[in-house]
Amino acid sequence: MSATPSPAPAAPLVSPQTPPAETGKSCPAPFLYLIGASVLWLLVASLLGLIASLKFHAPDFLAGQPYWTYGRVHAAQSAALLYGFGVLAALGVGLWLLCRLGRASLAGPCVVLLGTFFWNLALTIGIAAILCGDSTGYDAFEMPAYCAPMLFAAYLMIGVCGLLTFHQRQEGRLYPSQWFVLGSIFWFPWIFSTAALLLLERPARGVLQPLIAWWYARNLSTVFLGFAGLAPVFYFIPKLLGRPLHSYYLAALAFWTLALFGSWGGIPEGAPLPSWIVSLGVVGTVMTAVPLLAVAANFCQTVRHDLNALDANPTLRFTYVGLMFWFIAGAQQIAGALPNVSAITGFTWFGAAQKEMFHCGFFALSIFGAFYYIVPRLLELEESAWCPRLVKAHFYLTFLGVLISCLSLLVCGVGQGILLADPRHTFPEVMKNTMFPLRVSTLGDLCVVVGTILFLLNFARLLARACCRYCAAFPSAKPKEGA
Amino acid sequence: MNSGPLLFLGLFVTMACSWLSFVLGPQLQIGHLTQTNTVVVGEASPQTYPLAQPGAARQGAEVYRANGCAACHTEMVRPLELGSDLHRGWGARRSLAEDYLFDQPVMLGAQRIGPDLSNYGRRTDLIGVLLRLYDPPLITPGSIMPSYRYLFDTRKIQQFPSRDALVLPSEIAPAAGYEVVPRPQALALAAYLLSLRQEGYLFEAPPPPLQTNAAPVRAKTAAK
Repeated sequence: MSATPSPAPAAPLVSPQTPPAETGKSCPAPFLYLIGASVLWLLVASLLGLIASLKFHAPDFLAGQPYWTYGRVHAAQSAALLYGFGVLAALGVGLWLLCRLGRASLAGPCVVLLGTFFWNLALTIGIAAILCGDSTGYDAFEMPAYCAPMLFAAYLMIGVCGLLTFHQRQEGRLYPSQWFVLGSIFWFPWIFSTAALLLLERPARGVLQPLIAWWYARNLSTVFLGFAGLAPVFYFIPKLLGRPLHSYYLAALAFWTLALFGSWGGIPEGAPLPSWIVSLGVVGTVMTAVPLLAVAANFCQTVRHDLNALDANPTLRFTYVGLMFWFIAGAQQIAGALPNVSAITGFTWFGAAQKEMFHCGFFALSIFGAFYYIVPRLLELEESAWCPRLVKAHFYLTFLGVLISCLSLLVCGVGQGILLADPRHTFPEVMKNTMFPLRVSTLGDLCVVVGTILFLLNFARLLARACCRYCAAFPSAKPKEGA
Repeated sequence: MNSGPLLFLGLFVTMACSWLSFVLGPQLQIGHLTQTNTVVVGEASPQTYPLAQPGAARQGAEVYRANGCAACHTEMVRPLELGSDLHRGWGARRSLAEDYLFDQPVMLGAQRIGPDLSNYGRRTDLIGVLLRLYDPPLITPGSIMPSYRYLFDTRKIQQFPSRDALVLPSEIAPAAGYEVVPRPQALALAAYLLSLRQEGYLFEAPPPPLQTNAAPVRAKTAAK
């Protein structure tokens, strides 16, 4: 498709300007369940993150109980963030996009509801098990073996419904967002089953275990969550600006290169592995500059004239800032993979800063942008039903929280790395120097927690309004508002 | 790119590329690694490496896993040119795939909020480990490691004090007539930590020319 921008906002071929209210036909309950559950898990994750962060103010905070020791809380936080918020939000937004872009209604809404229920159940068991000391010991794959089959089955229930919805689409032409959603739906079961089989069922031998865990963690973040977070970006920015996406081909380039190179790497420099594996990972990570540049070029051209419009709409604002964070997180990942840099930053807080930027910055913001658009439409309310002050507070708290947290961790990581590289500084001395930025990062974590609570309040407000209106439709109920 | 099946096929091929190179390839190369002999240095004789861990250490690895120790500690020493791992005395050589043959699960860790533990068994003893678990600042003043008091019991001294009771300085000692005794988990964890030694030089990692003032070339020949 050529890049000629159409003068009118009405229906250029590439732009997803499909008539609204198509999804209104499908039952809103599965989407609302996925969205509500994902935000609750984000709250759980950020509260656990806050507890973990407070340990750096007082190491003996909650130290009397085994359940709240740093290692367990850290693992539980990662599980709640990746599997609770990440996967459920990816599926909620992804299924909605498949319905909207394919002009189809959701296939098997009951199956999706059931799948979401089982996913939540397995996750609750898994996180409780982690706090009780049953984690697997692998980063980003902490849930114990007995949760894995249920998680996998629950994912398949939801994922298959997504594929059926895609299959029933009325629209022949595929929009880039649909590739990204399909990519994420396909990617997860492959990596998850590989990790579950080779780490839990029949563990691979020796150092292959951490290799598989690193590979899995990289795929889960960069590819799965990356695809799921970019899908709404590709949909909402052109749609809400009323301009077509600049280039279909750049989007395709970004999609395939991200799938190819995003799945390589994540192995720390100097790992006890044959060096070709580590080098291949570095090459792959550096090559993720291609999708980064392709997306940047595409959106620079798409947004070019409308920078002011970004402020008008909460969805646009969240999505756009999320995209910015994606560039930063990607650049940081590439920088951290370069051998000269990773000699300094390896095993420091640098990596944690990058993850935080990716998950809480890019993914969460772009997903929240989508939520602000989707939820009122699911409930058949006006977009103005969101309390604008809460939306604004949520945006600034999340944005500043992520920024404070990531910047302080970044400073902390680089400082730690530089000091550690000189053996004259003893280890406790180095750690003492990291304390100040680490403690500042708690402030960022606190902002994110408050922001998430505000979003939940706003979400509850919308649900209450929809309920009131529903009740008002019956003569026995008291009419309140929104009728 | 408007066909679902083609999209699926493309994704499958990209996925397969990644899977073949990061899961299957390494499995074919080092999946069947076996014990090996150490390189002879000086007058030592070659030895089988690695040896399986004793039972208590295996139980201790479970305690290490359960409490998420790997969130703060790595168990891998990077080569000389990366960072200062070897200069800090965290190991005598870089870590190799052979070092982890008998570990289950292998917890290399991702971050160093505490020091690397690959060779922790070479630089401490049982009392040191237990005291550190009970009250970390006792061993390293200003340590940010949390206390693992829940791995210990404070109990009334029966007829005789226990042999295992910790000898604590008066500020943190329990009340008179009481003693602090490690639970079995603490002893297992200590056994595991003391078993962490990446010993012996292997073919891939001969001794580094570190503590010598000789010219690098001579150091290399000495290693052979």
